Amino acid sequence: MSCAIEAEGLVKIFRSRWSGKEVRAVDGISLRVERGSTFGLLGPNGAGKTTFVKLLLSAAHPTAGRATVFGRDSREPEARRPIGYLPENHRFPTYMTGHSMLDFYGALSGMDSASRRRRIPELLATVGLADWGNTRLGKYSKGMLQRVGLAQALMHAPALLVLDEPSDGVDPIGRRQIRDILQALEQQGATIFLNSHLLAEVELFCRDVAIIHRGKVALEGKVKDLTAGSGYRIEADNVPERLEQELRAKAMAVAQRNGNVEFLFGSREQANEALDLLRAERCEIEAVACTTSTLEDVFVKAIHEQ
Amino acid sequence: MNSRTMRVTWALVRDTFREALARKIFWGFIGCSTLLILFFLFIMRVDVAEGAMATISLFGNTSRGEDVNRLVHQVHGAIAAFLYTAGMFLAVFASAGLIPSVFEPGRIELLLSKPVPRHHILLGRYLGNLAVIAANIFYLVIAIWLIFGIKTGVWTYGFLLSSVLTLYVFAVLLTVVILVAVFTESTVVATMVTFGIMLISPILAQQGVLDRLLSSQWSRSMVHGLYYALPKVFDLGAISRRLVLGDPMGSWMPLWSSAIFGLVVLATSLYAFERRNY
Repeated sequence: MSCAIEAEGLVKIFRSRWSGKEVRAVDGISLRVERGSTFGLLGPNGAGKTTFVKLLLSAAHPTAGRATVFGRDSREPEARRPIGYLPENHRFPTYMTGHSMLDFYGALSGMDSASRRRRIPELLATVGLADWGNTRLGKYSKGMLQRVGLAQALMHAPALLVLDEPSDGVDPIGRRQIRDILQALEQQGATIFLNSHLLAEVELFCRDVAIIHRGKVALEGKVKDLTAGSGYRIEADNVPERLEQELRAKAMAVAQRNGNVEFLFGSREQANEALDLLRAERCEIEAVACTTSTLEDVFVKAIHEQ
Repeated sequence: MNSRTMRVTWALVRDTFREALARKIFWGFIGCSTLLILFFLFIMRVDVAEGAMATISLFGNTSRGEDVNRLVHQVHGAIAAFLYTAGMFLAVFASAGLIPSVFEPGRIELLLSKPVPRHHILLGRYLGNLAVIAANIFYLVIAIWLIFGIKTGVWTYGFLLSSVLTLYVFAVLLTVVILVAVFTESTVVATMVTFGIMLISPILAQQGVLDRLLSSQWSRSMVHGLYYALPKVFDLGAISRRLVLGDPMGSWMPLWSSAIFGLVVLATSLYAFERRNY
């Protein structure tokens, strides 16, 4: 069965009309997003995330390579039928009301008027804007625009949601609400592709992640694998100097904390061995913990290593 | 055209209407038309005597008797001329922003993410813009035509045809707006270039005078080339006048050559839009 998204050697070079200077915004990206997965695309500003999304949606044309959406070439208009998209820095026409905006984009997505009439109140209620349907978008706050934008992306019950910074400008409650909506969609089998610089948000919601930097994939994998098994932390009191020196040689890191010594070991064996030595010297063990790195650690490391 | 295509086209046309209605200039246009209609409906009294002679009363002043046919043609001619000149400028000014607004960052990406071919988006918008101006023109022209027809019993179909011709010229000029908008995404530049074409037309139409004034063959050829290449707004205005007054038509060349210009410019716009990155 085909993937939700598959990119093969995707390249996008922008050339300046006047100077002829080239910018390789996307430089040979190949990645797969499985059906039903929650995928996060991360990267620093200017890494090529938004350009990659634009290539997927055919808003920009690739210089080389190709992308498919559910097996269809992304350049075909029909490839975009199963996609619901919320752009970053969207500018919804302010003369529209929430209701008319959903109706317009629903019609463009191919929905008939009866389905639109049924779906609009449902979605406005889902995003907490049931009482705002007949108000012009010009009067909406940033968070409300983001939520009505999400409703727009959900209008035709898409199989693939592409969201560019969906929590941008949304307060914590709204953010939680968006996450709940996305989790419900995930359970219904929708594929969710999240383009975000909010690492905590991606870590909380996405199962798979790709980090791109300077137009290339710097790291790709499951969030669980990338952040797991970083090490073991042992905090002990009354550690003799001789033992501290011995363990320091084996530990990844050592720190003094509240008068105690904290060791960080890379493997379980090393941690167990250290515990045996510490107990043999009758040291007080204050804490033993398995530490994981955050996605932020993984992100910073991936960017620096590239 | 299948139902899905129709639905998308209708949505694009309706959206253009909605945007036009949100702009004050559209209501200004409608307001001016309504004032003119009310003027002819209530202020101007036309009394027809024996089916041939008519007197006009304005604010209590009565003019001498006129041939009713001539009177109706004169008024229709004046309105058609107003629509063709001032109305055309207003129409371009009022609607020029409706095309470039589609290319605004944050709006165009969302439109392009829908399963609609790019040419369909642009043509839908073009059609919507034409529909907005058609509604304005026909509102004024049909109302005036009915008022005069009912008051005088004279029904001049040339007046109706002239409004169709006005819309036709606008349709040609709108292709220029689209082309410039696709390349520059600027309402101001699109309006300026279109006004430029409108203003240069009466100059290029004076070919005899220009031939005498220009010394080199090269410059004369360039003027001739420009005349044939660009839409003949001035000549089409003359055709519009002849239609209203019921005069015999001269050459139809301005009509078909302007159509060719419009088609070429529209095709170029669609091609450029297909290839652009957003």
